[in-house]
Amino acid sequence: MLEPALRLVGIEKHYAATVAVAGIDLEVNEGEFVTLLGPSGCGKTTTLGLIAGFFPPTAGAIYLEGKPVGDLPSFRRDIGVVFQDYALFPHLSAADNVAFGLRMRNLPQAEIARRVADALELVHLAGLGERRPLQLSGGQRQRVALARALVINPTVLLLDEPLSNLDQKLRDEMRIEIAGLQRRLGITTVFVTHDQGEALVMSDRIAVMNAGRIEQIGEPAEIYEHPATRFVAEFIGRMNFFSGQVTTAREVRTARGLVIAAPVPLGIASGAEVHVAVRPERSRLCRDKPDAGLALKGTVRQVLYLGSTREFHLDLEGGERGLVEMPNDGSAVTFDAGAGVWLAASFDHCLVLPARS
Amino acid sequence: MRSTILSARWRANSGPWALLCSVVAFVYLFSLGPILITAAVSFNETHRSSFPPHGFSFRWWERALAPEWINPLLFSLKLGSLTALFSTLLALPLAFALFRYRFRGRDALVALTLGPLMLPTLVTGVGLLQLFQYVGWREYIGFTALLVGHVVICMPFAVRTVGVSLHTLPPNVELAAGSLGATRWRTLRYIVFPLIKSGVVAGAVFAFIHSFTDVNLSIFLARPGEIPITVKILGFLEFGFAPTLAAVSVITLLLPLILVAIVERVSGLGDFIYGDRDRA
Amino acid sequence: MAGTSKRSRVPAHWLLIAVPAAVLLVFFVLPNALLLSASFLKSEAQQLTAVPTLENYRFLLTRPLYLEVFLRTFVIGLAVGAIDVALGYPLAYFLVRTRSRWKGLLIALSLAPLLASVVVRTYGWYIILNRFGIANDALLGLGMIDQRIAFMPSTGAIVIGLAHALLPYTVLTIMGSLNGINPNLESAAMSLGATRTRTFFNVVLPLSLPGIAGGFILVFSIAISAYATPAILGGPATQVAATAIYGFIMQLLDWSLGAALAVVLIVCSLTLLYAASRLGARRAVL
Repeated sequence: MLEPALRLVGIEKHYAATVAVAGIDLEVNEGEFVTLLGPSGCGKTTTLGLIAGFFPPTAGAIYLEGKPVGDLPSFRRDIGVVFQDYALFPHLSAADNVAFGLRMRNLPQAEIARRVADALELVHLAGLGERRPLQLSGGQRQRVALARALVINPTVLLLDEPLSNLDQKLRDEMRIEIAGLQRRLGITTVFVTHDQGEALVMSDRIAVMNAGRIEQIGEPAEIYEHPATRFVAEFIGRMNFFSGQVTTAREVRTARGLVIAAPVPLGIASGAEVHVAVRPERSRLCRDKPDAGLALKGTVRQVLYLGSTREFHLDLEGGERGLVEMPNDGSAVTFDAGAGVWLAASFDHCLVLPARS
Repeated sequence: MRSTILSARWRANSGPWALLCSVVAFVYLFSLGPILITAAVSFNETHRSSFPPHGFSFRWWERALAPEWINPLLFSLKLGSLTALFSTLLALPLAFALFRYRFRGRDALVALTLGPLMLPTLVTGVGLLQLFQYVGWREYIGFTALLVGHVVICMPFAVRTVGVSLHTLPPNVELAAGSLGATRWRTLRYIVFPLIKSGVVAGAVFAFIHSFTDVNLSIFLARPGEIPITVKILGFLEFGFAPTLAAVSVITLLLPLILVAIVERVSGLGDFIYGDRDRA
Repeated sequence: MAGTSKRSRVPAHWLLIAVPAAVLLVFFVLPNALLLSASFLKSEAQQLTAVPTLENYRFLLTRPLYLEVFLRTFVIGLAVGAIDVALGYPLAYFLVRTRSRWKGLLIALSLAPLLASVVVRTYGWYIILNRFGIANDALLGLGMIDQRIAFMPSTGAIVIGLAHALLPYTVLTIMGSLNGINPNLESAAMSLGATRTRTFFNVVLPLSLPGIAGGFILVFSIAISAYATPAILGGPATQVAATAIYGFIMQLLDWSLGAALAVVLIVCSLTLLYAASRLGARRAVL
């Protein structure tokens, strides 16, 4: 079996008052695009810094292409980094910025010039090489940062929220471009972001992080359709949660007596408190009580019109809140604020998740 | 948006603003008047320091260029240049240490570095005179003692400007250089030093000007034949007249002015002006 | 990313700072220490002895002549501080708020006097204030007086000369303070119904008080240790602390008294520094 390009074993990072990374095990295969996804403070940027060698781990080991990196400083690791603020050298032109890593490797001038030209071409900045960072737009600077990290052909490419300083439209464009570039070049990539949309679009696998640990790692569809914990379920997409108790291996009973027939994950005992989770887009609204499946009575509190969909925010009996998303398919059927409705969903779309410990 | 709202409202009710402008005009008159008068007097026909000037003549300017005045002027230039050089050289390691490392004696070092700024230069001058006499370095009173004294009082300026430059380095560029394969020394050489150049230059300029215009320290450490221009002018003021003095004074104003104008053009000084706590 | 460039490796920084620190210790700390010790030693026949005494301080702090010097110095400091704040504030406010395209030039003009030595700036006042100078000529010409007045040497002349020389310092300090005030605050006040004047007195002025206090203290501390201006515009009869020190040391060769007076100045400076830092006026980078 091929050695993974990057392997983290038991990585921890403690600071005086906090634990930034509490124990991470991760394997990234060659050519794979893995995203570390999580809210601020979850340790994703720290993990990236540890891989890059900017500071040493408190515990654990990192292997690049099977070889332990130990205490190697960052300039001896074969990595390329794109920073959130791009960190371009303000006193050098774009071309000189891109050339920097090659200069540090003492390559001959002619080869440097050639590779820089190719790299700028790759990121669609051909002809802008002589400009200084100050004279470039935000999107252009980002491309220079990308070219600079790619031109040295690193073993692993590390990206720290590179799109968060761009406006929405540019962000959407660059997502696709970066993902396409990565696929074409086949560079092993670790991407850090708090934006789940980016993670879903760009990644081969997503590692959802919380409080210094990986809560779940898997392919985007897997993470979205089968979140393992409430945190993951809430962080990616939106989710309705209803609390209940496990009665059998296939049944959960809510406080109001509703019985939900959904598989209970192994390890959750009978009688345990759980959350039943349903995606808003897998639910629908009915005027009358549906015959089968999940059915919860309530009133429409607010309707939001989003163009391609409508969101219905509900107050349900029992005090819980609900969210239903229905496509705006042109049908005349809709519900107004104040209307009495039923939130309906098939039991097949209900997930049982452990209550937060 | 913010300033246009303010200025629009100001213009709308121009009373208060007009009043402010007239006060400001008076303040400028008060501030620049005496200097302009000195310049005007230097062109006087007669030897009286009167204003408006009687007649127009260059003769005092001729006298101002005589060896009697040129020598102290050159002395001050030499002193100022060497002061700027040594102040900057000594300031660099201090600025690096203070702005990039955390260590236990840091606060004490800050106090030591800023000390010469905080105490009157007069006191430093007296103390140095005592030191040189006490230790038996009498023959060094004059240029050497002046150089030492000037470096001591000018170093803090250079430390501060280099410090500002270090402080405003873009945050991740050194990490970026490291990730691209630059060792710590190469990062310093290719990234950090070029980026702090303006701070170094500003420090040297401030040090030169402070040295060139100093009088409180220099009066104690000068010696016949080794006198900075400011002390020489001070000595001659007892005798009252001599638009020659006026001409010399104008020269001593023009030199730093031209220096500052050149440096401002080439590399800019604006960022370093605030926080400048000079001493007379 | 979390990588800062502050490390705590021990050896490198000690080496870095060895030379400059040594220079400062030998040529700054040591002289001041010598002064301090000299102030507690007796002087005989213009030579410092090794006899410890408090006589020097007693002498300075009880003789009416020197009390007068202290008083004069102190009053000059207060007057100059007050005048420079009064003159500097409008100028600073104007420079911060003006939209003129000459703004840069105007700021440079307000700071340009700093480039001239104090001696040079004071000479201008000498020309203006002396018996046969411009002030007298003008007043005579206007018929406001019929005899020439000796404006100098006098304490008043010193105040005018120092106020002129130190004005840029208050301008700088107050500008710094005003720049730190969020301009939206003034807009907010006006949107709530305050006129420009009320906005100024109720919003801007209170917020710029640290700058005013800082500027006053700065100018005061420079004024009390000023030498050149009092020497030129005052005379042997109007001594201040600095001229007295010069007299003790260079003319009377009395190191004991000179050192003692210098120490008094040091103590005053440090006290003022402490007061300024407590007021939290705009801090420098270090």
